Amino acid sequence: MDNWIKLPGCQHITGSKCDFFPLINFYEEIKFRVRAEEENSTSSWYYVDPFIPFQKARLGPPEVRLEAEDKAVIIYLFRPGKRDGTSIWDMDALSFEFSLVFWENSSHGEEQEIKTNFYISKMYDLSTETTYCLKAKARLSWKVSAYSPVYCINTTAEHKLLPPENVTFGARNQSYVLTWEYRDVNVTFRAQWLHAFSKLTPWDNSNEWKQIPNCENVRTTYCVFPQSVFQKKEYYFRVQASDGNDTSFWSKEKAVQTEMYSTILPPVVSMKSTNDSLHVFVKAPKKQFDTFTYEIILWENASHTERKLVSKRSDIIIPGLKPLTPYCIKARVLLQDKWNKTSVFSAVVCEKTKPGAAASIPWVIPVIVILLLAVIAFCVMKLLWKCFNYVFFPVFKPPCSIEHFSEQPFGNLLLSTSEEQTEKCFIIENTQSVIIVEEPEETDEDYRKYSSQSSQDSGNYSNEDESLGNQISEALLQLKPQALSCPGELVLGLSSLGLHSS
Amino acid sequence: MASRCILQIALLLSFTTSLSLSYDLLQLQQQQRSSNSACLKLLRQVKGKPEHCQQDRMDFKFPEEIKQPRPFQKEMAALVIQEMLQNIFVIIRKEFSTTVWNKTIVDDLLDKLHQQMDRLKSTILQERPEDTNMTTLRLKSYYWRISRYLTARENSICAWTVVQAELISKFPIINSLTDYFQD
Repeated sequence: MDNWIKLPGCQHITGSKCDFFPLINFYEEIKFRVRAEEENSTSSWYYVDPFIPFQKARLGPPEVRLEAEDKAVIIYLFRPGKRDGTSIWDMDALSFEFSLVFWENSSHGEEQEIKTNFYISKMYDLSTETTYCLKAKARLSWKVSAYSPVYCINTTAEHKLLPPENVTFGARNQSYVLTWEYRDVNVTFRAQWLHAFSKLTPWDNSNEWKQIPNCENVRTTYCVFPQSVFQKKEYYFRVQASDGNDTSFWSKEKAVQTEMYSTILPPVVSMKSTNDSLHVFVKAPKKQFDTFTYEIILWENASHTERKLVSKRSDIIIPGLKPLTPYCIKARVLLQDKWNKTSVFSAVVCEKTKPGAAASIPWVIPVIVILLLAVIAFCVMKLLWKCFNYVFFPVFKPPCSIEHFSEQPFGNLLLSTSEEQTEKCFIIENTQSVIIVEEPEETDEDYRKYSSQSSQDSGNYSNEDESLGNQISEALLQLKPQALSCPGELVLGLSSLGLHSS
Repeated sequence: MASRCILQIALLLSFTTSLSLSYDLLQLQQQQRSSNSACLKLLRQVKGKPEHCQQDRMDFKFPEEIKQPRPFQKEMAALVIQEMLQNIFVIIRKEFSTTVWNKTIVDDLLDKLHQQMDRLKSTILQERPEDTNMTTLRLKSYYWRISRYLTARENSICAWTVVQAELISKFPIINSLTDYFQD
């Protein structure tokens, strides 16, 4: 069930029309219903098709206010609708377009038609003490209003103090210069500026003109101010003359897009050479604007034929150059479109291209490198695989000299062997003392210690030279009968003693 | 092996050519994004005290269809961005009070918004579309609610703090809309 609200100003209407100004959301669908009432009885409701007010609303004509100077007329425009913040057009203030028709009243023939987005316009170069008339219509996307009523005004008599003329704007080093022309000498000037966007919105911008620093009460027909003060995109400037008592009307407004005038600093260029191409790096010193295009001039140091390249990228590769040739480069910034502004050229940078190579050679070197790397990788992998196997899956290969014991597990050799091989074994017994390292009263355990220690040395024994032979025979004399068993063990004990004594 | 190699090369080539063709749009995208972050920086400089303003919070009902990602034509994306920027401009211009804002910051912000709108008008939106569609209508409705809220609360610091947070929260949406410039 909808919540129907009574429409104020539309209750108990006689007649068939009512005007209302409710503060509703104009962008949302609204429903209306009407019924007739008579004393105690009412008719049924008539439901109006729902609609969106903003879409259905029609544009009224704009309001106009004229202000006259001696040779100019200022036109103040007001968008249709109320200006108390309740208008349906409030949120569209920026989107209005106005069409003005302006003519001199007496000679009705010459009509000027002007299209503008600005809420304040000015018509210049008019005759003094003449009547001028204007009518205007407004446009908002596809909605167009009817023409407003005609408004007329008389220009004033010629003002004694003329306004400055030919206001020009320029840049010099890091400053901007505003210049104008004036005939008389005994006057002071002041210059003002305005944000361009101020003209697009309907709020009163007459007090938004600001004084330019260093530009008030100047006697010169120019003034200089730093570029840093005006860093936004678009401004308007105007100048006024004063002789102490009287002030002139404002000069024609000079529209300035600062991008057009501000000095673009040259870029910084660096180069790297490869065998038949150059890799160029262009760096703009400061990001002043959003879009950069670079113009690069390339020439061989010897000849002077220049080659021109244009690029938007800041690093460029120039291929197809002669090897072992010095090339020179300079670059400048091109500001894209509109004014074709450029910076000065950067410093010249020269670089020699690398020695060239035959077409076939270049691919050989990387192939060789790859092969080498592959071989190295293979060897490394093999080595790793070997280590891996050795660590985790060791091969229990007994040394050559104890191959006879292949049946027995390795561990048994560490203990005193009770089982003895059936190979040729003999017992050596001798009572003579021999030069040995250890004490004669060696215990069995000590002997076993030797044998266990020497178990790894067994391999070494076979490599030892004959000089050990005497020592071995001497050591044999010391051996205890019980310990002896087989040639293998004998050898073990010998090797340990032999090593110690040497 | 060879076919895989060829496929990779083909992909790389098509990627680079498509890159070079849309370079201007890429630049526009970058400009929009850097402009957005500049605007955000300025918007944050309201002289407000957010702690006191909890009770002033309000749901302004931003249109859902813009919040949710869905494929936009590049012209449509530009239109939506333009509408958003215009309305932000109008609200700030209309309702700003010097007690809440520093005038220099406001001028900076308005100038940046103006520049961004100009850029869109001279590139993607050169051809003026004749119709207001439902999305832009809902956007206007949303910003109208914000404007009414400020007027009703007489542009108080608390009201502006709430609106500031609301406006800031929608800038990421503008950024993601610039993605559609690439089509």
